[in-house]
Amino acid sequence: MPNRVAIVGIGQTYHTTRRPDVNQPEMVAEAVRAALADAQLSIKDIEAVFSANMETFEGIFLPDHGMAAEIGAFNKPGFKVNTGGTTGGSAVVEGFYMVSSGLYDVAMVVGFEKQDCGDTTAAISAAATPMWGKGAATGAIGEFAKQALSYMETSGATEEHAAMVRLKADRNACRNPYAHLKLGLKSVDEVLQSPYLVWPLRILDFCPQSCGACVLILASENKAKKITKKPVWIADVEVVHQEPFRAGVFGDPTGKETYTQHVACERLYKRNGITNPRRDIDTAEIYEPSNWEEMNLYEHFHFCEKGEGWKLIEKGITEIEGEFPVNCSGGVLATNPIGATPIIRVAEAALQIRGDAGEHQATRDIKTALASALGGPNWTILTLLKRSL
Amino acid sequence: MAKASPKKKAKEKEPEYIHVKFDMPRRYNWSTGRHLGHFYAQAKENKKIVGNRCPQCKEIWVPPTLVCPKCKVEMGWDLVELPQTGTVYQYTYLVLPLWDPHYGEKWANPYPSATILLDNGVFYRHRLEDTDKDKLKVGTRVQAVWKEDYEERGEGPADILYFKEIGK
Amino acid sequence: MSTVTEKLEGMDVWIYHGQIYIPNRYSAGAVGSRFLIEIRDKKRIMGTRCPTCNRVYVPARSICKDCFGQLDELVEVSDKGTVLTYTVCNQPNPVQPVETPLVYGIVQLDGADTGFVHMLGEVDPEQLRIGMRVQAVFKEEREASILAIKYFKPLA
Repeated sequence: MPNRVAIVGIGQTYHTTRRPDVNQPEMVAEAVRAALADAQLSIKDIEAVFSANMETFEGIFLPDHGMAAEIGAFNKPGFKVNTGGTTGGSAVVEGFYMVSSGLYDVAMVVGFEKQDCGDTTAAISAAATPMWGKGAATGAIGEFAKQALSYMETSGATEEHAAMVRLKADRNACRNPYAHLKLGLKSVDEVLQSPYLVWPLRILDFCPQSCGACVLILASENKAKKITKKPVWIADVEVVHQEPFRAGVFGDPTGKETYTQHVACERLYKRNGITNPRRDIDTAEIYEPSNWEEMNLYEHFHFCEKGEGWKLIEKGITEIEGEFPVNCSGGVLATNPIGATPIIRVAEAALQIRGDAGEHQATRDIKTALASALGGPNWTILTLLKRSL
Repeated sequence: MAKASPKKKAKEKEPEYIHVKFDMPRRYNWSTGRHLGHFYAQAKENKKIVGNRCPQCKEIWVPPTLVCPKCKVEMGWDLVELPQTGTVYQYTYLVLPLWDPHYGEKWANPYPSATILLDNGVFYRHRLEDTDKDKLKVGTRVQAVWKEDYEERGEGPADILYFKEIGK
Repeated sequence: MSTVTEKLEGMDVWIYHGQIYIPNRYSAGAVGSRFLIEIRDKKRIMGTRCPTCNRVYVPARSICKDCFGQLDELVEVSDKGTVLTYTVCNQPNPVQPVETPLVYGIVQLDGADTGFVHMLGEVDPEQLRIGMRVQAVFKEEREASILAIKYFKPLA
């Protein structure tokens, strides 16, 4: 039986398009200090530091080498992880493994991205094998565009539904002091007027490129109870990867493709006795790079039947006041500092459980929350959080 | 607590902040290996798209691969020629130009990129002819159009110029 | 640059000669910007002092690696210093800022507690030695860049 692990400290920077006032390490340090203050710990209490960053997005290889001091990792164990979009999720899992194994009692997980320094889509395109040549340069956006088309063709969802997802994200983001895009959108029409980026995705259908960092402090059971009165327990994690860069298809209704979301949540639900996710889980912070993907993920995670994701949005079930709130923080659609993004999902889910989310606290009481990470060609990491084990 | 997003202040002058630019192409030599190399050879010599069949699950993988992603067994050399006709399954096209890291330029790709369901049921990613985007439809029947000049071929998937609507 | 595919003689293996080319910019941040601007405008080299550890970092950085303290105190250090170590590079590479042979040195400036990596110039490689006293030579036309310092030359 592995040791129990709790989140005892949460910190993030505000997220925005440009941060010329700080370099990358200095920006990360802001989140580290916030997490230490939240846990009321000093950097000396941290035994190991695990960092997450999409290397080369800022043009720098081994960014962790230049910031040991700023992330509080000087003379400490730990290393950086990079698994594509799931990077931050991998770092949370890594921290969880390290503490649950008993190797460390207090570990810190640090995720960051400073996207005003490079070109993200170009960097993602550079990850594709060169054999596909000129024209593969749409990064992740092209994949989600095709997925959106398939979803539209097969589920009955319309562009209006996608616009409603953005409106929900924007309303929530406006209540979140750290969120990036806060547009104050009022109507579906405002979203539908935004220009196309990669057809049929509009600019407002897709997540922004943010600068920001997010930090979690994890502790073993004994330590956690000493550090905080409100530990949030990591009940379980699941990681599923699949073969990259095959002719894999996002949003394939033929059933030919294996979805890592299905594999991951079926395993996680089974281990934790979750038979009806919308009843057994109180909220979810999911990794939705596009409006369409949010509706798709509702279905993949069995929050509803297949082809009915858009109905949850239409009925307001996933609103902050709703029966099953999803992404009370505004989600990835509002804030996307890539290496930090999945850590923010876990952090925001934990804030909901603590009841410390402030203005974007869900109306219903949150005891159990699910956080997801998505990346690469359809990779999934899930983290299940609980107020008590 | 960290600072929350700053409120936009009226005309407050930002101090001078320095951004150090660094632009340098990083060269690499990428080897196809023998399985993928065979795909390149068949495209150049015979204008054929080839995949290989898994000895265990019998699934066809294209381009040919060393190990079956599903069964994790060695694929071997059961090569299969794929049909060059299929149906458009998904498509998208760039509206805003994006930076292409392999070419070092901002490029508005005129070709829609598509997932094509080939007639033997295998998905193939390629691009469609640069035509009126409004006429694109899921379900359109398409066929591969190759580079005719032998000397120009030798770039694997790029030996096919695009997939073109059949009957046009 | 275009890309070229080439078939290996006698084998079904192809080599793709490619490149990855993405425009990047590195934000120096508030403290880093001050450091570069002082060199550009006033030919002054700045460090930051950690009051807890009583150490001066050059180039200026905003966080102390030992105590994790926030460093706000900018201090000017001397443009003269001592060579801690050096190397002579004869192999040309596109990343190098000047032509070979090129001498890299680590210089501890007077008033600093850390080494500062830069180039050494106006010196015969044969005469280089650890402990040598050197002084910064600034370019006439200066941008906000570490290369606004041309190199460090031996003190007469």
